[in-house]
Formats: sequence, C-alpha cells, structure tokens
Amino acid sequence: MNSIFSLQNLRKSHGERLLLNVEALEMLRGSTYLLLGENGVGKTTLLKIMAGLEAADNGNFQFDGQSVNNASERAALAPRLIYVHQHSYLFYTSVAENIGYGLKLRGIAKNERDQLVAAEMAWAGISHLRDVPPNQLSGGEKQRVAMARARVLKPELLLLDEPTANLDDAAREQVVELIAHMRDANNCVVIATHDKELSEMQDAVKLKLEDGRVQ
Amino acid sequence: MTLLQATQQAFELLLGGDAALWNIIGVSLRVSTLALICAVPPAVAMGFALATFTFPGRRVLVVLLQTLLALPTVVIGLIMYLLLSRQGVLGAWHWLFTQQAMILGQAVLAFPILAAMTLSAVQSVDKRAAETAKTLGAGRMQAMWTVLLEARFAVLVAITTGFGRVLSEIGCAMMVGGNIAGVTRNITTAIALETSKGEFAQGIALGVVLVALALAVNFTMAFFQGKGLTR
Repeated sequence: MNSIFSLQNLRKSHGERLLLNVEALEMLRGSTYLLLGENGVGKTTLLKIMAGLEAADNGNFQFDGQSVNNASERAALAPRLIYVHQHSYLFYTSVAENIGYGLKLRGIAKNERDQLVAAEMAWAGISHLRDVPPNQLSGGEKQRVAMARARVLKPELLLLDEPTANLDDAAREQVVELIAHMRDANNCVVIATHDKELSEMQDAVKLKLEDGRVQ
Repeated sequence: MTLLQATQQAFELLLGGDAALWNIIGVSLRVSTLALICAVPPAVAMGFALATFTFPGRRVLVVLLQTLLALPTVVIGLIMYLLLSRQGVLGAWHWLFTQQAMILGQAVLAFPILAAMTLSAVQSVDKRAAETAKTLGAGRMQAMWTVLLEARFAVLVAITTGFGRVLSEIGCAMMVGGNIAGVTRNITTAIALETSKGEFAQGIALGVVLVALALAVNFTMAFFQGKGLTR
C-alpha cells in the first residue's frame, strides 16, 4: 500500500468559527505536498492535528493503514511522523545534544548516537557548532539544527511548517535537499508554506486551503 | 564601647576562629541546607503539577500558596510550635527546641516560595518545548521532564531565593528552636540575643557573616537568572 497518511471528515472549530472542514485527504509515500493558503486559514492547525499535537473535533485518520483517530495515538507515531515548527524550538543545551535528543529517547547507545549526530551535523554544515547553545545561533543555523534533528530519526512522514521563513539561500537549499532526500527514500513530506520559490517546486502536489477546505 | 571598637572586636572574633561564633554559623548553614533539601522535592513537584495539569481545586491551591508567601515567619513559627508542643499533633516526636524542629519549620517556610516560583518558571517555558519533545518521540513523562529541564535555571533561582529566606528568618527559628547555645542558636537568634545583652561585637560579627552569605546567595541568583535570560 502506497498511502502513508489519510484523513476523512476532519472538522475543527475555534469557538464558533469552523476552521477546518476537510472531506478527504490522502498522502502517498515518495511524494511531496505543498499546503498553500493565506495566513490564518488553518495550515498550522492541520499539520498539528496530523501530528497529534492538537485534537480534531471530528475525523478519521489512518497512518500506514493503521487507524489513529485519537490525537494521543497520532502523537505516539513519533518519530515515524515528525512535525517541525515554523520557528523551531531548540532545547537549551548544545547543538549535538539537540540533534541526539530523539536518538537518546530511542535508547541508542552513546557511541552510535555520537556517530549519527556527527554525520547529520556534517550534512547540515554545522559541525563547527557542535557544543554551541541555541542562544548563540542565527535563525538559519537554528533551522538547520531542527532539520538535522528531524532527519536523523528517519521519519516516514515529515510535516514542515514554513520551513524557509527568514532563511538565507544556503539554509533554504538545505531544506530543499532534505525534501529531495526524503522523497528519494520513499518517504513523504508535507510543507505549509508562503514561500514563492518553494511553492513552485516541481513534482510537488499543491493543496490549497481555503475556507477550511482543501482545494 | 564605641561602635568602632565593637566592629574591631567583631573582626577579631571572626578571624581568630572563635569556636562559639563558628558553631553558630555552622548551625545556621546546616539547618537551612537540610530544610531546603527536605522542601525542594515536594515543592518543585507541586509547582510543576500546578503549572502542568488542570484539576478541580487547582486555583484554590495557587491562591493558598500565594497567601503562604506573605505569612510572617513568626506565625509559621507559632503554628509549628503548637504542632510540636507536647499536646500538639506532632508532640510525640519530642522535637520542640531541637534542630529537627528548626529544619521542619524552615522547610515549611521555604515550601511556598519554592512551589510558587517553580510554578511561574514552568509556566514561562515555551509551549513548543513540550510539542517538540513529543514530536521527536518523547512519551508524556519524558516530555514533562524535558520541560522541567528547560526551566532549570529559573528553578535554581527559586532554590537560591528559598535558601536566602530561611537563612535570614528569625521568627520560626526562635519559637521552635528556643535559641539554645551550641544546639539551636543560629545567626539570627544569636544576633537578637547578643544585641539585647549589649554585646555588640558578636552581633556585628554574625551580621557581617549574614550579609556576606546574602551577597553570595544573590550573586548565585543573578548568575542563574543571567543563564536563563540569555536564551
């Protein structure tokens, strides 16, 4: 089965306002999806609901053929499914420990962890920042750390919220490279974005969110 | 004796290693440190729980904590005295006028400061910290632990503030400790006693130590605050 994530009859309201009303949506392995739309249309909310960080009022969800209707069930999919914030949050520790955080949770031994972290830092071009705390990093460097931290866990579905916001060209290229890498590995990436360049990406399925519906 | 002579004598006592004087300082440090060790785990746990969970009675507990912050030490001393006195609920422990009673009293005194400051520290952690932990594979408990670690500098400030409060209080130590020489006499109770006797030298010497300790506590606090603020 090629489907990695699907949802049906998703409804989410904020107070009286119906924010999301999505009849059906299916995401396939090896594909990239661009979630487009104006500010405040619910792109972040949709990604957070998919990641189990927010509950939906109603909806059926499947991940890799398995039903994950409760937010807690979807949250438990991590790190097979990873959500990366628009402004990534880095823990107040070194860059290396940030990247190794998820590996440590998975019980990977320190030696192996150190090797994996070193390889990711080399990929992201941040090996020289190994012991630097987050308060000494630029916005672009922080985003690179967040990308490396997600990539090292080899997620099958990666949800990126405005990944290129306020990034320089080099960091933007890295995001594009990460997306290509994910696609080549037969994984799926969903990107909520305003970025014009990113939204013109070839081979990506464009989903427009308008009035709570996916067009 | 002039103030200058008393101050000169005070420094002679301090630098000469006066045994009685250093014993008093030792009692203060020992009692306050042990009180803090007893109070920190439950207070931090309570502050964290109040910041993290919503449950019936949560608001009442927060108001109660805030009220306890403003309670004079002598009132806490009185309550502890009544509890520890022979007819009190804890009378069977025979702790009145012992260091244990002072430790218990100071732990009760430190508890609301530690809990209230931990509550504020955890509440001020960015909501994305828990979300990031969860999305990287942390379970509920692991995510909560990560949030507490993110608040660690502010929690250390709370602990330092609590230490400053118990070290400099007099009401509770006097009432449940009894100011017994060599046993429960600490810096603050000794200053009060020596001053009332007109023995200013020892009072000044202990005052100097207390001010030095207060400075050390505040520098430590400023260091941790700085660490937390430069994020």
